[in-house]
Amino acid sequence: MTLLRHPANWWRENRLPLLASLTTLLILLFTVGGAVGIANAATKPAAADDGVKGKTFTIATDTTWAPFEFQRDGELRGIDIDLIKAVAEDQGFDVKVDVLGFDGALAAVTAGQADAVMAGMSITKERQKTFDFSNPYFDSGIQMAVGKNDAAIKGYEDLKDKTVSAKTGTEGYTFAENLGKQYGFTVTGFQDAADAYNDVTTGNSAAVFDDYPILAYGIATGNVDLKTVTPQEKASSYGMGVKKGANEALRKAFNEGLKNLIADGTYQKILDDYLGENAPKAAAIGEGKAALGNDKLDPGKPGELPKNPGFATDTAQTHGEFTIATDTTFAPFIYQLDGKNVGIDMDLMRAIAANQGFKVDIKPLGFDAALAAVSAGQADGVIAGMSITDERKLAFDFSNPYFQSGVQMAVAKDSDITSYKDLKDKKVAVKTGTVGYDFAKELGKKIGFKVNAFQDSADMYNDVATGNSAATFEDAPVLQFGISSGNVPLKIVTDPEPGADYGFAVLKGKNAELLKMFNDGLQNAKDTGVYQQIVDRYLAIDDEGATSDNSFLALLKTSIGPLSQGLLLTLLATALSILFAMVLGILFGILKLSTNPFLRFLASAYVNIFRGTPVLVQAFFFYFGVPAVTGQPLDALTAGVITLSLNAGAYITEIVRGGVQSVDPGQMEASRSLGLGWGASMRRVVMPQAFKIMTPNLINQFIITLKDTSLLSVLGFAELTYQGRIVIASTFRSFEIWIIVGAMYFIVIWLLTVLSNWVDRKFNK
Amino acid sequence: MTNNEQTFTRPVTTASGNPIEVRGLHKSFGKNEVLTGIDLTVANGEVVAVIGPSGSGKSTLLRCLNRLEEVTSGEVLILGENIATAKGKSLDAVRQRVGMVFQHFNLFPHMTALENVALAPVELKMLSKAEARKRGIELLTRVGLAEKADARPASLSGGQKQRVAIARALAMSPGIMLFDEATSALDPEMVGEVLQVIRDLAASGMTMVLVTHEMGFAREVADRVVFMADGKVVESGPPAEIFDSPKEPRTQDFLSKVL
Repeated sequence: MTLLRHPANWWRENRLPLLASLTTLLILLFTVGGAVGIANAATKPAAADDGVKGKTFTIATDTTWAPFEFQRDGELRGIDIDLIKAVAEDQGFDVKVDVLGFDGALAAVTAGQADAVMAGMSITKERQKTFDFSNPYFDSGIQMAVGKNDAAIKGYEDLKDKTVSAKTGTEGYTFAENLGKQYGFTVTGFQDAADAYNDVTTGNSAAVFDDYPILAYGIATGNVDLKTVTPQEKASSYGMGVKKGANEALRKAFNEGLKNLIADGTYQKILDDYLGENAPKAAAIGEGKAALGNDKLDPGKPGELPKNPGFATDTAQTHGEFTIATDTTFAPFIYQLDGKNVGIDMDLMRAIAANQGFKVDIKPLGFDAALAAVSAGQADGVIAGMSITDERKLAFDFSNPYFQSGVQMAVAKDSDITSYKDLKDKKVAVKTGTVGYDFAKELGKKIGFKVNAFQDSADMYNDVATGNSAATFEDAPVLQFGISSGNVPLKIVTDPEPGADYGFAVLKGKNAELLKMFNDGLQNAKDTGVYQQIVDRYLAIDDEGATSDNSFLALLKTSIGPLSQGLLLTLLATALSILFAMVLGILFGILKLSTNPFLRFLASAYVNIFRGTPVLVQAFFFYFGVPAVTGQPLDALTAGVITLSLNAGAYITEIVRGGVQSVDPGQMEASRSLGLGWGASMRRVVMPQAFKIMTPNLINQFIITLKDTSLLSVLGFAELTYQGRIVIASTFRSFEIWIIVGAMYFIVIWLLTVLSNWVDRKFNK
Repeated sequence: MTNNEQTFTRPVTTASGNPIEVRGLHKSFGKNEVLTGIDLTVANGEVVAVIGPSGSGKSTLLRCLNRLEEVTSGEVLILGENIATAKGKSLDAVRQRVGMVFQHFNLFPHMTALENVALAPVELKMLSKAEARKRGIELLTRVGLAEKADARPASLSGGQKQRVAIARALAMSPGIMLFDEATSALDPEMVGEVLQVIRDLAASGMTMVLVTHEMGFAREVADRVVFMADGKVVESGPPAEIFDSPKEPRTQDFLSKVL
């Protein structure tokens, strides 16, 4: 029979070798997995620091992420591409650009198949475990976009119980996932940004989260039918990533080249080319870090004026003297060290004064007194870790925010809690009367944890360190200062919640010049990195000591949950698809044997269309194409099951036709000669025999359909392969995860084969 | 024939009283005309043996009698119904009353001997399952295979298979039995047992048309012998007449080769 895609009775003939290979695979899985785990845990040897001149480096990039990389007129273009080429020219090396997609680019670098990723890749703590980053070359942030005509969704709270899309492995995805826990929506990941956008256009998803320049460029060029509705969030910067411990020379050369290109205006020109008037100032990127090349800024000691080549601190003091009131102690913003007022607020205030050319007289009065002093005209301004609130705006004029605060969660150093939802049924320690307390109370109701209130910070931290409470919530800078100063033996596991901004304030309508100087100085400080220098004095947490369990078993433990969920969906989609495919296959198989030429044509057309086009194309057609025309969104499971049912149905049609035709025509004649009708003859005589012949082919088709469900991952359907990709996006352990995923498929297919053969033996004697 | 059999058999009702009347039957496969105007009448209880060389069209003729072959033109009146044009249910109804035995038995391999026999009465709701089973055992007893009731066809010899096939064809109590070279596929030592069953059936008064190569058996059991060649009935008459003094040279030539 020509329809056989495997020889019949494949299983029976290969039972022993198959069992042997399964055992071997499992042994291999654990030994290799273990070995890799050990290798990962071991420190990587530092690469020899030889030069880059004359060498060729392979740079992995994304397929389409305009304006950073995209194809136009068959040529790869974009900020990333232009920049890396300009850097290569400046530093005298050659680059070969490989377009691999975002996930693929990251995987290629971790696997050593490419030297660096240049793909609008945000510098994150998580990625820094796997990659060494260059200086930031672009400052970005996440933005939410909705359908152009969508008037219903104006903010995150409108997303409740909805689905949003994002590109897998991006910052936008992580951001949306965390936000989703808070606002109660789910996130679907796509491999391609275009698909993620499309998912919103077709109405499957309510919104998409992506980096703002991408969204802005897409919308501005008219390629994306969306509109942005929220301000940019959670600033992150893009950097070129190399594999941790490898290609240090390339990384340094990039920093040096970037510095030169910023200095001679080349990079500014590239940015202007793509972003026009929205282009950022090249010199200010990464708070001035990009312009510094490999030079390191010394944060300096608390209380000192910062040393930074781009930030003058010797400006002539021609703008007078101002009295600035402040709190007595509000570490890390204001506190006393060796009889001197130090802290972020103090150092920043003095640096700005030195830069802008005015003198300050600092008066630590206590918070309430400081405000009163300004109100009474006894002080010109107040800087005291003071949140900008609408209420205070009635009495004061605020500067631009100089610090973004927000509640953050910390847990014991050996704790495996990583998110709010891990806190379910646990206890949380907070300090009475803080924003952390209010936040934990609210969150506790949602997640289901108990809140223990403490009067004293030390007791609160202790309760967590001893394991009595699972976590604590506190203002981000307070927490970070405690940990960085070594006083608090905890680790921070979440990003700060969007919260209060701190501002410098003057009495309403007074001291406009002072306010302007503060704003200008703050901008300079931010652009040149001085701001970060000062903040780093107090809040830099040394990450080096943090060790994570990199063993294979730990990976298996953390990944098995999502992978099992994925497997369940894989099985669900497979079962539904096989069921409908059998119905379609038998129906069209019989139509194909009909004497009516129209019915035969119908069946042939069906088979030819679905056998003659790739499953992936069919999946895209049903998920993106059909809803675009009908306006009726199909969820990924429905579209996936439709696709696989129709596809497998086409193959089963041929299997049924072949099976029926291989039954001796004498059987039909004998049955008809007894007076049985065609239908009864088919049902009682021909089909039972045909099924026996078809069984190996049907099992084969079931297995193919099961494996084809992996293609639905591109629709964001959270089946096994999709989950594998998601786990890899955060762990970068592609080798082990794909082995685990492969083993799960293998075992399930093996079980399916055993089951099918048992059924075959039982019913097809 | 037992009493039970009598009551089960339905009366034959045609205008002429003849269960089979074929008039001007033509049958073509594409451009190849294999039956070129056949006229044949079989009377109630008559046993007709059709003989002739290979390719003479005798099997095609037999298959036209229950429309396993589409009729190109002409009339085929079976039990009063022209099955050349009958459709759907009425065609099935005629077929229920015409038993057919095939050269290659065509037993259903996924069923036991008894299930083969009982299939049609149950499926067509003539008998309950229990009744069909009882009748199946009776018929298998009649062909001497009661002890093989639960055997699958694969475990039966050729002769046994053909006897089960005959029992199956009798299950609907047909008024006509058609035998299409029923012994041609059998080993010589099995031919006897099958012929004995057919002989008994003939003796019971069943209307039968046999296509056969067994000349001795045709002479013994047939009331009339029809000799066909090149898609035509060349000669027909009582066995003694055809076998001992054939009129047509074509008949003489054929018989001289096979006898």
